[in-house]
Amino acid sequence: MPNVEASRKDLQKLIGKKLDTKQLEEAIEFAKGEIELIEGDRIVIDEKDTNRPDLLSAEGIAREIRARIGIEKGVPKYKIRKSDVSVIVDKSVAKIRPCISAAVIKNVKINEDMLVQMINSQEKICGTFGRKRKEAAVGIYDWSKLKQPMHYRAYDPRVKKFIPLEYRIEMDLEEILLEHPKGKEFKHLLEGFSKFPIFEDSKKVVASMPPIINSQLTGKVAMSTKEFLIEVTGYKQETVNTALNVMVSAFAERGFDIYSVKIKYANKTIITPDFTPGKITVEIDEIKKISDLDLNTKQIVELLKRARYDVKVKGKKLLCEYPAYRPDILHPVDVAEDAIISYGYNKIKPKPIRISTKGSELETKKFKRACENVCIGLGLQGVLTFTMTSKAKQSEMIGFGPEKEQFVEIENPVSEKYTVFRKRIYPELLEFLGKNKHASFPQKIFETGKTLELKQGTETGVSEKNRLCIVLSGKGAEFTVIKGVLDAVADNLGLKYELKQNTEPALEKGKSTGVEIASKKGIVGELKKEILQNFGLEQPTAVLELEI
Amino acid sequence: MDLTQKVESLSSIEAKALKALDLEKLEGMEEIAKKSGLPIDSVRRAIEWLKEKELAKVEEEKKETIVLTAIGKSSLNKALPERLFVEALQQLEGKGSLEDVFKKSQLNRPEFNVAMGLAKRNAWISIQGGKKTLLEFTGLEKEFLEGNYPLEKAMKKIKETLELNKEEKKALQEALKRGLAEKVVEVEKKAMLTADGKKAIALLETVKKRTYNVHGAVPKIFIGKKHAYVQFLDHARAKLLELGFKEMESPLITQEFYNFDALFQPQGHPARQWTDTYQLKQPKTGGLPDKKIVERVKAAHENGWTTGSKGWGYKWSEDIAKKVMPAAHGTAHSARQLAAGVEIPGKYFSIARCYRPDVVDTSHLIEFNQMEGIIIGKDFSFRHLLGMLKEFAVEFGQAKEIKFLPDYYPFTEPSVQLSVKHPKLGWIELGGAGIFRPELTQPLGVKDPVLAWGIGIDRLAMCALNIKDIRQLFSQDLTWLRNTKQVVWENA
Repeated sequence: MPNVEASRKDLQKLIGKKLDTKQLEEAIEFAKGEIELIEGDRIVIDEKDTNRPDLLSAEGIAREIRARIGIEKGVPKYKIRKSDVSVIVDKSVAKIRPCISAAVIKNVKINEDMLVQMINSQEKICGTFGRKRKEAAVGIYDWSKLKQPMHYRAYDPRVKKFIPLEYRIEMDLEEILLEHPKGKEFKHLLEGFSKFPIFEDSKKVVASMPPIINSQLTGKVAMSTKEFLIEVTGYKQETVNTALNVMVSAFAERGFDIYSVKIKYANKTIITPDFTPGKITVEIDEIKKISDLDLNTKQIVELLKRARYDVKVKGKKLLCEYPAYRPDILHPVDVAEDAIISYGYNKIKPKPIRISTKGSELETKKFKRACENVCIGLGLQGVLTFTMTSKAKQSEMIGFGPEKEQFVEIENPVSEKYTVFRKRIYPELLEFLGKNKHASFPQKIFETGKTLELKQGTETGVSEKNRLCIVLSGKGAEFTVIKGVLDAVADNLGLKYELKQNTEPALEKGKSTGVEIASKKGIVGELKKEILQNFGLEQPTAVLELEI
Repeated sequence: MDLTQKVESLSSIEAKALKALDLEKLEGMEEIAKKSGLPIDSVRRAIEWLKEKELAKVEEEKKETIVLTAIGKSSLNKALPERLFVEALQQLEGKGSLEDVFKKSQLNRPEFNVAMGLAKRNAWISIQGGKKTLLEFTGLEKEFLEGNYPLEKAMKKIKETLELNKEEKKALQEALKRGLAEKVVEVEKKAMLTADGKKAIALLETVKKRTYNVHGAVPKIFIGKKHAYVQFLDHARAKLLELGFKEMESPLITQEFYNFDALFQPQGHPARQWTDTYQLKQPKTGGLPDKKIVERVKAAHENGWTTGSKGWGYKWSEDIAKKVMPAAHGTAHSARQLAAGVEIPGKYFSIARCYRPDVVDTSHLIEFNQMEGIIIGKDFSFRHLLGMLKEFAVEFGQAKEIKFLPDYYPFTEPSVQLSVKHPKLGWIELGGAGIFRPELTQPLGVKDPVLAWGIGIDRLAMCALNIKDIRQLFSQDLTWLRNTKQVVWENA
């Protein structure tokens, strides 16, 4: 969940009312945030709603709070001034990254707090709502350095050159993707295209290469910048518009002037930012049913206004309008939650659940417990290991050739120690013993758990088996003893086993055997000395592993 | 304690050790072990006890021995640098430039310098300056070349632990200085009988037969038991059964369909990427449920289907939904259960092994357990959701004070976080809950509200087992496991 960092003073100023720490904490809960840290003027808010890009800045959180605590109501109305600025979209981007939205911001008063919010929220919005820049990538430029109209078109990567951000030399587009850190990070977004998108001005001065990187000359905001151009690219007009609205409305919250931009596509022209509120119709009864609160229509309308909705009542329905920076409202339940949050979760009296149901557990779990009880009766210590493990432990170290065994295998492991799912438990228990050589002997341990094998024709291509594994180590851990354990387990669980060929190379020939219980397979016997050595074990050790 | 009591208090091991002691002279532990037939560790312990009971006298003897260091051993095996130096000069017929001797000797520079210094000090060579430094034998090197070199002799004797003569003792100082040999101090405990000890032996036969020392230490017994964390999870399971919950299947490997799609998580969502969930190299894909369900889930994603939702507005892909993965959360199993059919009203739970590619630290594991479930009923509302959480707060968190916070989960709306004041941990986030979104439940064929909940079970387990590091839940320390108390639920 993203963290929003802010200056407490700045946040207070944006809210417009002085709140002590406790009040602030409660106010932030309305915005689905939790204070992680307050340290002097620094405040870190854990914002839980990853579907609300508008809450990823101090401006947005303050705006939400202002309404919830009653300073303002309803959808915020921002003044959008008309401008003659346009962005001309060339057909060449249609298949690559077709959509763009833009705005010009004037009367900009930059200070450090504002700059931090702008940079952080830009990054977070692209990361979460923008799906790591795929669906929405934001660029902000020094407008004084560009000449309108702007052009959005695609270029041959070897032909077009510019100086990318934080660099000093001109590079062609191909080089930027290969060498610039941002190029490397996001080049997959342009994979498979022979041309790459460029955002540039009427004099062909490059502003950026969306969604990768801005130009060092025009795409950098400094403390002295007075006017911004902001642009969002992506695949869907609705998405890029929402992202633009989130960014622009934060500027508006600081009193900057917002100017619209004409986006000229080949077949149509649109004007952005578009702050037309979203619309959703909700049955009054649905909110009543979900919330289960004794509320009349007027009260519900009031709660929604505090959640920044504008509401008209029409019969049994509420015609709701919500701010154009909110992409998260898909269904009336989303509106219902907003009403309940405004009401206050902790003012609601919980209702006990009075239904009569019978508890029960899976049959496999019951049998597993019976096995565990037998093991306890045998005086064994239960252990617990991971189901993810290394291939070496499950093959080479127990005597298989490196390529012989096939596993359910992880594509993106984070550690060499965990790359496959175990097929057997006993290598994990041998490793356990290897870590406990200093503990007193004899060591007698067991584990019940799952093992995984590839199997075509099952629902997931995997066969998941429940197994019981017992390992005895120390003087006297011989075949006759471990077979005695097998007999005890079988007798006490009412199972009959047949002897089969052993297929595990880890077991000593003549001191081991395979077993089968109702077509479920197992092994029992003494481990070879060289296998024990692989796990650093010196004491004689015997194993029993059964599918249960 | 009088002597008879002392004798009564002796364990069999102490008695055996006592009988092995000598009245006249101090003896080492190994010797006592040999005489008594006891393992050396038992002897050490028994002697300590006997000393406390004043039946044995114990003295520590410091023994200084000299041993070769690793460098000393390897020098002795190969030949000392000075020998290599002198032999090199010998091969040059007793006269040569410094650089020639250096090359011939195959020593490294520091070794060569040491060797040349020694040769000079022992007057085996003379050194003449000039354009090139010239080295020449003096004649005194002969004895050395014939093998008469006290340092080497001393080192050989040290290796074989033989007595050194006077000349070799002098050479030993040189060996110590050059780090070829070192002094090692060993402390050896020795014990003998005290006068009381002697009397005690005489009493042993008569007293020992009568009674056992009820105060004495007896050998430790390790009982059979479940892993402490498993015991805790079994208690949680029993609690859920008491509350009327049915257990759901919780496979380790699931289709993305259940882990994400059926939960209304859009396919382009960052939470579905590499960094957030494990993916499989093999197998790659699995099957999907009933076609009708798949079609409805697809429609819910694309346009909201008939649920009254806008949907996510993108083209949903069956191929992505078919991919298989290690389950990233227990909610996948709730989706599977809903698709398979549920009783209404009904309560379901799973305690499921889940997997996420995190960096393992004191609060993160890549493989862990999640406890969660669903409650389905005709007229369930948000207030029932809170009522359910209040019950959990008491049953699982022993909480008197609770607090509800707005929260976000991609698959529930409204969502709520449950914070409780735990008697030991203070205010903690005990769990999260919400009402499953209609875009989730309706395509799976469920029309009634589904309350979904999850309890942070690991936090509670760590509290019950009194551990601070989550990795210890899967403790591989046998001694710790053997010493854990039986986990009783009231301690949770």
